[in-house]
Amino acid sequence: MQNARAFAQAVWKGRSGYLFIAPGYLAFIAFLLAPLLFAISLSFYDASFNVSAREYVGLKQFIQLGNDPVFKRALLNTIQYTLVIVPATIALSLLIALLIDPLGQGLQSFFRGAFYLPGVAGGVILSVVWLWIFNPTYGLLNFILGLFGIEPVLWLSEAPQSFWAVSAVVLTFTVGQPIILFLAGLAGIPQDILDAAVVDGANGIQKTIYVQLPLLRPVLLFVLATQTIQVFQLWEVIYMLTRGGPYNTSTSLVFLIYQTAFISSKYGKASAIGVVLVVIILIITFIQMRFWKDTDL
Amino acid sequence: MTRSSLQMYTALEKTSRVMSMLFLLLMAFTFLLPLYWMVTGSFKLQTVTMAVPPEFFPSNPTLENWQKLFTGPWPVWRWVLNSVAVSLLTVALVLLISSLTGYGFGKKKFPGSNFLFFLLLSTMFLPNQVMLIPLFLMVRGLHLTDSTFGLYFAMAMPMVASPFGVFLIKQFCSSIPDELIDAARIDGATEWAIYSRIVLPLLKPALAALSIFTFNQAWNYFMWHMVLASDKYQYTIPVGASFIARTPAFGKTITDIGLSMAGGTFGAFFMIVFFIAFQQYFIKGITIGAVKG
Repeated sequence: MQNARAFAQAVWKGRSGYLFIAPGYLAFIAFLLAPLLFAISLSFYDASFNVSAREYVGLKQFIQLGNDPVFKRALLNTIQYTLVIVPATIALSLLIALLIDPLGQGLQSFFRGAFYLPGVAGGVILSVVWLWIFNPTYGLLNFILGLFGIEPVLWLSEAPQSFWAVSAVVLTFTVGQPIILFLAGLAGIPQDILDAAVVDGANGIQKTIYVQLPLLRPVLLFVLATQTIQVFQLWEVIYMLTRGGPYNTSTSLVFLIYQTAFISSKYGKASAIGVVLVVIILIITFIQMRFWKDTDL
Repeated sequence: MTRSSLQMYTALEKTSRVMSMLFLLLMAFTFLLPLYWMVTGSFKLQTVTMAVPPEFFPSNPTLENWQKLFTGPWPVWRWVLNSVAVSLLTVALVLLISSLTGYGFGKKKFPGSNFLFFLLLSTMFLPNQVMLIPLFLMVRGLHLTDSTFGLYFAMAMPMVASPFGVFLIKQFCSSIPDELIDAARIDGATEWAIYSRIVLPLLKPALAALSIFTFNQAWNYFMWHMVLASDKYQYTIPVGASFIARTPAFGKTITDIGLSMAGGTFGAFFMIVFFIAFQQYFIKGITIGAVKG
């Protein structure tokens, strides 16, 4: 009784706090939380175009996914995309950032802008031109390769090239953001630490390995987390370049969700795939949070 | 260190500097080449776009593709209007919601605040394509896309409750000294006055970065725009550009490459100008919250 009264008093005292968060929280519930819960419930229903006529099927759709070769292909591809694109993005952006870091202000902002620009244009717009560059007969890529005596390649309509073509295009717009983050991280390293390393006789590469990289660890983990989650949701380049083909060799989980929900109107099945995706991303986030705890970010 | 070894060291330093510069230039060239190819391609005739070997610089530049783009069946200016309206609406709602909610969580003490904040934050990394399915069913059920404003609101909807925005503002609020707020309260300022007259002006840098970041994201929210747009007057620019690039030219079986490039260039133009104008805010928006100091 006493407790309830104290609690009520605390709530009353904090009333302005509730009022400030109310509009945002209502939007959060309406547009994020409720849709998420509804999607989870939909995954237990066989729901197609006429959703109100949905039928409860329990775990049937999840069991079916386990035997669905297209789903398994999409899941495997998504993991493969992540394992290829994320390390490539981190290595390339880290290398570029380390090379840009010692340059003067003007050159720094030039290169920073140059590498970030493709990302600003966006994956869809970039894919518009890559469709042409990848064209087997009059595309730029096969022409350049031809100069080195390489036979024309069917980049988008044959496996496994289609997978690599998609990965390469994605790479051109994922490096911009990490470069900026690494540069900010590098700029935050106190100059006297770097000077001390030089006085102790460290050369450029030693300075990078023993001083800069360890101090970049928090940024590195942040980049790893955000990139992994981003690449896991890859789909627009696939939609533009290959439509998942040929024979689903370049499809991804999110592209499959798009196809299942918005092309085939199988909302229940699409939600089930979505729930699997949510669970995987929660696991990734959880693992990375554990790593985070070790650093003081 | 002897004199000669010092000389060798500086020579080595110089070569490595030249090498790294060459590498950076080569990489930048590779990354920008597609954009260059798209822009120059928009000024090439159909026969030139399919020529082997390709022309690296259009020797006979033509405006034909641009003419087709602006006078053809595609309402491209309508797409610009749609994109701008959706992005601005999203930014306005995100700023309002994030600043109110972020301030509430950052400076107010009330029972349950930790739990409510954690619940909000835990959805930050969730794939929002999953939420799009119920949201789509809701928009369809309410016939929201029948009116232009309804369409814009529907397109902005999944982004307005931004966990990232709330998180950012909450972090920023913690740097505002409590004394400042207490002093205003003692002077008799209402809670609303404290928020709008004292806190909001101090949040300006964070809100600026958040706006730029949100504008760019809303502009490129491709899947949702494509799912909602039911006719060509409802497309946003990326959706329109993708349709031009994937639809065979009238009466032909292949796409019109020159026209596609004009569409792509037109689509990229606005965001690139926007980026160049607000580059510093873009960078702040990316680094804020990720890199301390």
